[in-house]
Amino acid sequence: MPSVIEIDNLRVMLGRREILKGISCRLGISGAGKAIGLLGPNGAGKSTLIQTLLGFHRPISGSARVMGYDCHRQVRQVRSRIGYMPESDSFIGNMTAVSFLRLMGEISGLPREVALEKAHETLFHVGLGEARYRTLGTYSLGMKQMAKLAQAIVHGPELVILDEPTNGLDPQARQRMLKLVREMKEDHGMNVVLCSHLLGDVEQVCDEVVIMKDGLVVHQADLEAERKSNRRFVELEVAGDDSTLAESLAALGADALSEGGGRWRIVMPAQLEISDLWQVMAKLDLPVRKLTHRRDTLEEIFLKAVGHLQRTPAEAKEVVVNGSL
Amino acid sequence: MAVYKRGYERYDGPLTSHTTRLLAMPRFAWARLMDQKLVVILLALSMLWPLLCGGFIYLANHLSLLQGFGGKDLGKMVEINGKFFLIFMNTQAVFSVLLAALTGPGLIAPDLANNALPLYFSRPLTRLDYIGARMAVLVALLSMITWIPGSVLFVMQSSMAGRTWFAANWHLGGAIVGGFLLRIALLSMVALTCSAWVKWRIVAGALVLGFFFILAGVSQMINAILRVEFGSLFNPSRAMYIIWSAMLGVEAPSGPTAWECVSVLAGLVVVLAMILERKLRPVEVIS
Repeated sequence: MPSVIEIDNLRVMLGRREILKGISCRLGISGAGKAIGLLGPNGAGKSTLIQTLLGFHRPISGSARVMGYDCHRQVRQVRSRIGYMPESDSFIGNMTAVSFLRLMGEISGLPREVALEKAHETLFHVGLGEARYRTLGTYSLGMKQMAKLAQAIVHGPELVILDEPTNGLDPQARQRMLKLVREMKEDHGMNVVLCSHLLGDVEQVCDEVVIMKDGLVVHQADLEAERKSNRRFVELEVAGDDSTLAESLAALGADALSEGGGRWRIVMPAQLEISDLWQVMAKLDLPVRKLTHRRDTLEEIFLKAVGHLQRTPAEAKEVVVNGSL
Repeated sequence: MAVYKRGYERYDGPLTSHTTRLLAMPRFAWARLMDQKLVVILLALSMLWPLLCGGFIYLANHLSLLQGFGGKDLGKMVEINGKFFLIFMNTQAVFSVLLAALTGPGLIAPDLANNALPLYFSRPLTRLDYIGARMAVLVALLSMITWIPGSVLFVMQSSMAGRTWFAANWHLGGAIVGGFLLRIALLSMVALTCSAWVKWRIVAGALVLGFFFILAGVSQMINAILRVEFGSLFNPSRAMYIIWSAMLGVEAPSGPTAWECVSVLAGLVVVLAMILERKLRPVEVIS
């Protein structure tokens, strides 16, 4: 099965400036309902990458493929599989939401009757059912965002590209938008590319993340794997006599380092669960003051990738723990 | 099941052909145009002159009805020939400019003002498709007041005047259709380019009118100041009149030849197409 996105040494120039400087990566598995986060500081080339995937820019070298189709040579096939939600306001102000979605559905290839049906269905799905006969120009910012999402999914694309979908939304609307995005991948099997400055949004929704800086991919991570690996690092604080704790944990296969004052850092093997730790504490009759997963947040991964951190806290911890044991 | 009770489901049925998708755009644009009262009123007014001409043709072929008004003398005055059709075409040309100025800007300017181009171009449409779909609306609208009534008048005259008239004037039919199609091509390009150039509909409409009036003024100035006649080449309406005169076999006014006018107008259309190509991009790249 082809990857959702395959980029090979892609270079794109806009005017005289080289924006994408030879990026390569493979993202997602086509048809699997994966969400890919696209992160990077302003000017990193995220939007240019999205626009190149949509066939708006011609690469000067390299290639980009979506669902196995070349974004430049097979642009029609690519576009017929994509739904795109741009960052800025994009609509036709004096059209009603239903007409707008119907038009977008029809030019995406839906038959006339189906387009009308899907327009209504999608507007109800994104929560604009009651406002579907209002002209788009009268919508609030949040409603416009939802209308943009609706036009991106009205034709049921295989890949939905969302550029800053939570921009300008209040917390409630933001959660609703993220819920819709999660549903798109989990319930409807769509692949999603989410470009956002809000790391929390990406962390909540995405399975993979690509971090860009200065037109290059500086980090690519499987967030699911990161989440799993993060579970291995535990910070523990206990009261009472903990002199036998290291021995008990070693018996379970965990590496533990005492920091004094009842504070411990533990690296757990894959098969060990947190409940096993609780059982050890209960057995040793040690009151637990604190037990936390110390993990790399996406923010830390991001800051490291763009050069603001030497290493993430979990990596630092791993060095200390492994170095001393 | 009611729509609000039904959840969203991805469509996985057959997709329509590329042509069907393209035709959706003019269909929606047409419906929006026809919602505008002014457009409908102007369209109705544009039909008056063809109706009058139709009546004229009828009377010219039924002079017996005018016997009481000196019908035989009138018969010489109301001869249906190239000159008659040239007058018809010139009058309809004025309406076509007004209609293009009123409707053309509403086709592209709102898409640019609302940043809707990325939505169109993220779908399986090329820029050429988009321009073609927009132009189709203008071509259909302008056809309704130009070559279609012109052809009806020609057929009406041919059927009333008989074979002799048709044998002597058959070329007029082609000239009416061809001449009007040239006019529509030029007008559509001007209207679409103005619409793409200026995001405000009203200003774009004024620009379409200004294009014809200002260039007419400029050509007059060139002719007057330099004491030449080639200035008429810069007046698209005048250049079109010269071409039509040649096509209809009517004595052309002094000045540039029809071929010179065709060359200049073709050059103008190419320039307009280049501007349109430059302005209609899904994203603006600042060099």
